[in-house]
Amino acid sequence: MLRLDRVTHFFDQRLVFKDISLLIEPGRVTLLAGPNGAGKTTLMNIISGLIKPSAGLVEHRLSRDRMAFLGHSTFVYPGLSALDNLRFWAKVYCRRLNDDDIMQLLRLVGLKAFAYEKAGYFSRGMSQRLSLARVLMLKPDLLLLDEPGTGLDSDSRKLLRSKIKDCARAGAAVIWVSHTLEEDLDLTDRILFLENKKQAFYGTTQAFRSWRQGKDVEH
Amino acid sequence: MSDNSIMVRSIPALAVMGAAGLIIAQYFIWIYAPVEATMGIMQKIFYFHLPMAWWGLICFFVVFCASLVFLISKNPFMDRLSQAAAEMGLLYSALALATGSLWARAAWNTWWTWDPRLSTTLVMWFIYAGYLALRQSIDNPQKMRAVSAVLGVVAFLNVPLVFLSARMWRSIHPAVFGSKGGGLEPEMMTTVLVCIVAWGILTSGILFYRLRQLDIKDRVKNLFIF
Amino acid sequence: MLNIRFLCLTVKDLKLIFSDGSGIIQPVLLGLILVFVFSLSTPIGEEVTAQAAASIFWLATSFALILVFNTLYSMEETNQARTGLLLSPMPLQHVWVSKALTGMLLLLLAQLFFFPAIIVFLGQENMAGWWTLLGVILLVDWGLVAVGSLLGAVSQGHAARDSLLSVVIFPLLIPLLLAGIRMGAHLLGGADDENLGAWGGIAFSFGAVFTGAAIVLFPFIYNEY
Repeated sequence: MLRLDRVTHFFDQRLVFKDISLLIEPGRVTLLAGPNGAGKTTLMNIISGLIKPSAGLVEHRLSRDRMAFLGHSTFVYPGLSALDNLRFWAKVYCRRLNDDDIMQLLRLVGLKAFAYEKAGYFSRGMSQRLSLARVLMLKPDLLLLDEPGTGLDSDSRKLLRSKIKDCARAGAAVIWVSHTLEEDLDLTDRILFLENKKQAFYGTTQAFRSWRQGKDVEH
Repeated sequence: MSDNSIMVRSIPALAVMGAAGLIIAQYFIWIYAPVEATMGIMQKIFYFHLPMAWWGLICFFVVFCASLVFLISKNPFMDRLSQAAAEMGLLYSALALATGSLWARAAWNTWWTWDPRLSTTLVMWFIYAGYLALRQSIDNPQKMRAVSAVLGVVAFLNVPLVFLSARMWRSIHPAVFGSKGGGLEPEMMTTVLVCIVAWGILTSGILFYRLRQLDIKDRVKNLFIF
Repeated sequence: MLNIRFLCLTVKDLKLIFSDGSGIIQPVLLGLILVFVFSLSTPIGEEVTAQAAASIFWLATSFALILVFNTLYSMEETNQARTGLLLSPMPLQHVWVSKALTGMLLLLLAQLFFFPAIIVFLGQENMAGWWTLLGVILLVDWGLVAVGSLLGAVSQGHAARDSLLSVVIFPLLIPLLLAGIRMGAHLLGGADDENLGAWGGIAFSFGAVFTGAAIVLFPFIYNEY
C-alpha cells in the first residue's frame, strides 16, 4: 500500500535522518517512536506527501482522497458550527453525505448536542473529537495520526483509541506517532524507532519489547 | 561545487579588469568623446546613467531567470543568485534614478518628469525593494525562498505593462528623448559601449563576491542550527 | 462537478467572514475614512477633479484588497486548516480561484460603500454610462484579486502582515491602477481620453498575465509547509 525505501531528509544542509525503510500494509498499525527531535513528525509529513524527501523513494498506491490525517492541529474553523465544519470537509473530499449521516457521526464522538454551536467555543478535547469525526467520516484506507492524544482527558483518549482500533479492524492501515509508548504498545503491530538520525529498530511489537530489554541490559 | 570554485577564483580577475575598464572609460568619457553642443559638460552624466540603467535592468532579468530555475530545481544557489542580483539591481536603479534626475534638471529644468523609462525604473525600484523586504521578514527559509522566487518571476512579467502604462499616462514625450537614440555621434556611441562593458565586468565581479558571501553565510548558519 | 468544487471553499469563506463581520467591516471603514480624509485636500468651494476622485477610489479599493486577502488567508491558519487543504485531494489552484472569487465579492461589496462616498464627499455627480462603469470596475477588480489571491498567502504567520503585504503588492499594481484611474476619470466625466480602449487592454492584459502566473505559481507559495 505504501513503501518507503531508504528515505533520507535534510533541512538545508542539516541531516534529519537517513535510510528509513518502511512497509505499510492494510489493517496494520505502525507506531513511529523515538526521542524528541528525532524527526518523527518530519517522517510523517514525508509519508503524507506534505514534504518531499531529499533522497530515497516513497511509493504510494493510494490517492489523497483515501488518506486522512489527525494531528494536534485540528483543522477546525472556529467560525463555523460543528455541522458546517464536517459538511465542508465532506465536500472537499467529495463525500456525499446528508445531514443525518453527519449527525450520526457527531453522536458517535459525543458532540450531537453541540452540532449547531460554533466550534470556536469548543474546548481542546471537543475540537479534537470533532476532528476525529472528520477522520471517521472520510473512512480512509490510510490513517495518519500525529500525537492525536495530546491535551485530551482520559475519556477522550479512550474514545480515540477505540476508534483507531475500529479503523484498523475495518482494514485501514494506521501510522501513528506517539509519545506515550507504554500506553499505546498493545494497540500496535509494527514499530519504527528513530534514534541518532537513523532507524534504530523496525519490526513487530514483540521483537521491539525484547530489543528494548536488551538495550536496557546493555546500559 | 566545481562551478562555485571557478566563480570564486574569477573574482580577483574580474575586480582588476573592472577597475582597469573604468579607468579606461574615464579616458573615453572626458577626453575621447566630444562635448555636446547644447548641454555642455552636463551631458557626460549620460555615460554613467545609461550603464546603470542597463545593468539594473539586466540584474532584474537575472533575478527573473534565477527565480524560474529555482522553482524548477530548488537549487539554493539560484536563490542566492536572485538575492545578489536583486541587491545589485536595486543599487543600480537607484543610481540611474539619481543620475537621471540630475540629467532632467540640466536638460529640462526639472528634477522629475513623467518619462516612461524613468517611471518604469522607479516602479521597478519599489517592486524590488519590496522583494528584498520580503526576503528579510520571512523566518522559515524554505518558505522565504519559494515565495521570493514567485515574486521574482511576477515582478519581471510586470515590467512591460509598467512601461506601456507609463508611456500612455503621458502621451506627449519630451522631444529630447526622440533624438537621443539616433542622434548620438559615433565617438559618443563608442564611449557608451566602453562604459557599459566596464560596468558589466565590475558588476559580475561584485555579484560573484556577494554570492560567495551569501554561500558562506548559509554554511555558517547551518553549522550552528541545533 | 469537479469544476465547481472550489465553490465550497468560497461558501465556507463567506460564512466565516460574515459570522463575525470584522473581515468586511474593517476594509469598508478604512476605505471610507480614506475618501473622507482626501476630501480635505481640496480647499472649500473648489471641485475635486474626476481624476483625483478616481485615484482616491482605487486607492481605497487597494487598501481594502490588502485587508480582505489578509483575512481570507489568515483564516486558514487557525488550527492549521491549511495543512488540511494541502492534504486533501483538491488541487491547490482551487484554493487560489476560490479565494480570488471570495475576494472579488467582498471587494465589490466594499466598493458599493465607496461609491456613494465618492459622490458625497468628493462631489462627483456627472457620471456617465453605468454599465461601462460596472464593466470597468469588474475588469480592474479582476486584476486586483488575481494579484491579491496569489500573494495574499505570502505574509502568513508574520507579525506585521498587512504592512508587508502592502509593500509587496502595491508596486505590482501600479499599471493596473493607472489604467483604473484613467478609465475612472473618463467615466466620472473628466477629460475625454481617446485611449480608453488601450487602457482597457492594459487592465485586461494585467488580469490575464497574473491569472496565468497564479495558476502556475500559486502551488509553489501555498505548498511550502
